[in-house]
Amino acid sequence: MKLLGATAIEDKLQDGVPETIACLSLADIKIWVLTGDKLETAMNIGYSCNMLRDDMNEVFIISGNTQLEVQQQLRSAQEHILGLSRVSSAADVEKSDIELCPETVLEEAIIAEYALVVNGNSLAHALDPGLKLLLLDVACLCKTVICCRVTPLQKAQVVELVKTHRRAVTLAIGDGANDVSMIKMAHIGVGISGQEGMQAVLSSDYSFAQFRYLQRLLLVHGRWSYFRMCNFLRYFFYKNFAFTLVHLWYGFFCGFSAQTVYDQWFITLFNIVFTSLPVIAMGLFDQDVNDRNSMRYPSLYKPGQLNLLFNKRQFFLCTLQGLGTSFLLFFIPYGAFSVLLKKDGSNFSDQQAFAVTIATSLVLVASVQIGLDTHYWTAINHMFIWGSVAVYFAILFAIQSNGIFGVFTSYFPFVGTSRNTLSELNVWLVILLTAVLCVVPGLVVSFLKVQLFPTQTDKSRKGRGPQEQSLQRVRRTSSRRSAYAFSHQQGFGELITSGKNMRRSAICSAPPADEHYNHCNLFNHCTFHICFICGINHDMVNKQINF
Amino acid sequence: MQKKENQEVENRPDNTAFTQQRLPAWQPILSAGIVIPLFVLVGLAFIGIGVALFVTSRNLHVLEMDYTGVEKTSPCFSCSDPIKQKNCKCSLSFELDKLFEGPVFFYYGLTNYFQNQRAYGVSKDYNQLSGDLDYFTFFFSIVPDSTCKPYRYDVNNKPIVPCGSLANSMFNDTFNLYQMKNGVKEEVPLDGKGISWWTDYNIKYRNPSVNPLRNAFNGTVKPLYWSKPAYELDPTDTANNGFINQDFLVWMRRSALPNFRKLYRRITDGLPAGNYSLEISYNYPVIAFDGKKKVAFSNVSWMGGKNEFLGIAYLVIGSLCLVMSVVMLIIYHWRNSSPDAN
Repeated sequence: MKLLGATAIEDKLQDGVPETIACLSLADIKIWVLTGDKLETAMNIGYSCNMLRDDMNEVFIISGNTQLEVQQQLRSAQEHILGLSRVSSAADVEKSDIELCPETVLEEAIIAEYALVVNGNSLAHALDPGLKLLLLDVACLCKTVICCRVTPLQKAQVVELVKTHRRAVTLAIGDGANDVSMIKMAHIGVGISGQEGMQAVLSSDYSFAQFRYLQRLLLVHGRWSYFRMCNFLRYFFYKNFAFTLVHLWYGFFCGFSAQTVYDQWFITLFNIVFTSLPVIAMGLFDQDVNDRNSMRYPSLYKPGQLNLLFNKRQFFLCTLQGLGTSFLLFFIPYGAFSVLLKKDGSNFSDQQAFAVTIATSLVLVASVQIGLDTHYWTAINHMFIWGSVAVYFAILFAIQSNGIFGVFTSYFPFVGTSRNTLSELNVWLVILLTAVLCVVPGLVVSFLKVQLFPTQTDKSRKGRGPQEQSLQRVRRTSSRRSAYAFSHQQGFGELITSGKNMRRSAICSAPPADEHYNHCNLFNHCTFHICFICGINHDMVNKQINF
Repeated sequence: MQKKENQEVENRPDNTAFTQQRLPAWQPILSAGIVIPLFVLVGLAFIGIGVALFVTSRNLHVLEMDYTGVEKTSPCFSCSDPIKQKNCKCSLSFELDKLFEGPVFFYYGLTNYFQNQRAYGVSKDYNQLSGDLDYFTFFFSIVPDSTCKPYRYDVNNKPIVPCGSLANSMFNDTFNLYQMKNGVKEEVPLDGKGISWWTDYNIKYRNPSVNPLRNAFNGTVKPLYWSKPAYELDPTDTANNGFINQDFLVWMRRSALPNFRKLYRRITDGLPAGNYSLEISYNYPVIAFDGKKKVAFSNVSWMGGKNEFLGIAYLVIGSLCLVMSVVMLIIYHWRNSSPDAN
């Protein structure tokens, strides 16, 4: 044999991929790699991204060719991790899974680090209904899971497996047409636009150009989005409970006749005009921690994963706060109005004055409350909050003016009320007392909570963030592994032509038109070949991320 | 190359402060340095206001007397008998030991009277009360408001003006106040001008522009419980008839709570010390629903009438704020003075 030459394919990883992966794993996001590359390539990628490390306890490689082999390999991996010896008969392939303790408890108890690498061939066996739960259990016990030689269908199947059997939110990120099914299957699909065309982008929920932007997407924008949504919901429920439950208290004093406390126009406009814009501004612009700190402290991501900001308890608390506010909103004017008189002695404790007083107090309380809930006051927030209060007074006087009463007599019966009511000092004293009393308890509670039980978010807002997580492990420790891979294997032509990787219903026997496949197949025709792969993949890694 | 670059630039997202969420902003933190002084300030301000309100309220006088006549010893017991004569009169005597500074306001009060009941309160026709003659009749589609039922028309199908139960149930006790000077009854002048809201008198309620007023009410009947029709409510003052009668306006302004007072008259010069006798025409029946009738004399100040609730509430909240600020200060120091404060 005369050596004619050597070819080399360099497929570099994108910038920032190892740092991103390290950062996301600090945020308690589990990262799985599903790639169509072969085993050596995939493991090299794993080592270069620091997903696989030399100091890991064990790297389990599942490469069985039959279902039985795969089952045995998975079981032995599981036993190794759990340190238990379980007796399981080789014959019960049909049994869905071994009885395990709740997986979360078990996973947290595992302090050693394991990795799982599964071949595409074995994955086809492992995704059978009999074995898939076992696969899932073993995979969740490991820190890193890499699946190589995965077909697009199997990528979607793995995502589906996690989606249906674990309470996890899944995100799939990929850049090629072979990632489309995975992207569509996951809860969140992210497409990377670039060399491989736009199919992934077109079928995704989010798309950007570089993998490292994922860090910003999740840790900054994802976190802000969760925070804003929860704040928005809590405030909305609070505001509406405070608004509506006043009628509950009033029912006791109006003979339960469904008499509304407020003017009909106020009821119509309250949620649309008087209190909608500030909460929209809070939902769009609010930031509890700025973006630099969000990226610096990935552990700030955990409240979203643990559903801490809006759950049953939070909902109950905001309902309680709304109920308390409505109680104060009604009973303080009630106590005052039973004996209230105008300066000129004319009686005052009438229905319409009562309505205007409570309505004004409510708008002020709602505006002050959203002011206290807003952490990030842009010019737009200022404009919306103060503007809403100003618009309330403008509309109040407009609706109760003489002009509009002259035009639509029976629709505006409150004519003159606001002029008579809001020109009295004792009414303003009632409004001031109500507003302060409704807001003060919330203020005290939030202050004491920050002092006595500060969360990570509170600490990072003060500038003293959680201990700077050591990102040293991100930097490539000098590894004795080389970045070069020699492949002497025959290749996977038989696997593909056997049809085992294909969807049963689809009658598609053409091999996937993937550049890498073609490249490798070209070389695999001869028994001897030298596949010189320098560096690592460009088409960033097809990943599945659990959080 | 150029085209690709241009395409890249076109596809690049906007890089403005608004779209990239870099808007300049104020980021307040609820630190102790803001919250605790704020609470102290609010507490002190509220205590100040509370003291002012309480002291002012203490200086006001209110004299309230119940004249329902339920007890046998009450002067109006005979009038409270359901089988009574019409126009029953009874007389209340009371004594003032010091000058009741003027202007003194004379109110009648009702308890357990739900003027805020919804169906009762909407039972009126705004167009009638604005003087629109079209609504005094039944003419094709222009009819008095259906909420006025069952007081829209009487048994002879004649329209009732003003229709509705709110107008129908107008309070019709009348009062005369006499001071006993040397055994002689001297009437105290009661001023009934301007006791309702000026917007009610001038804008909300208008008489039909027909002169004389009684002609506007041809073909209609008075409300069932009234003794006089609307255009004869006040024989002494022609400007005080029809829908702009001051007592009518005061009654039509529905009260918010079941126990209320409404202004009846004003005594501008105050009431000097002495014996007084209040003569009441007892017409209004309240015993059937366990209601009570009262009269009250009160004087007012810059903060309105005697209102101890507001003064006490301000004092209580002010002191609570001060207490809370002290508590928060203690907790803050305890948290931040320990060396391993995180």
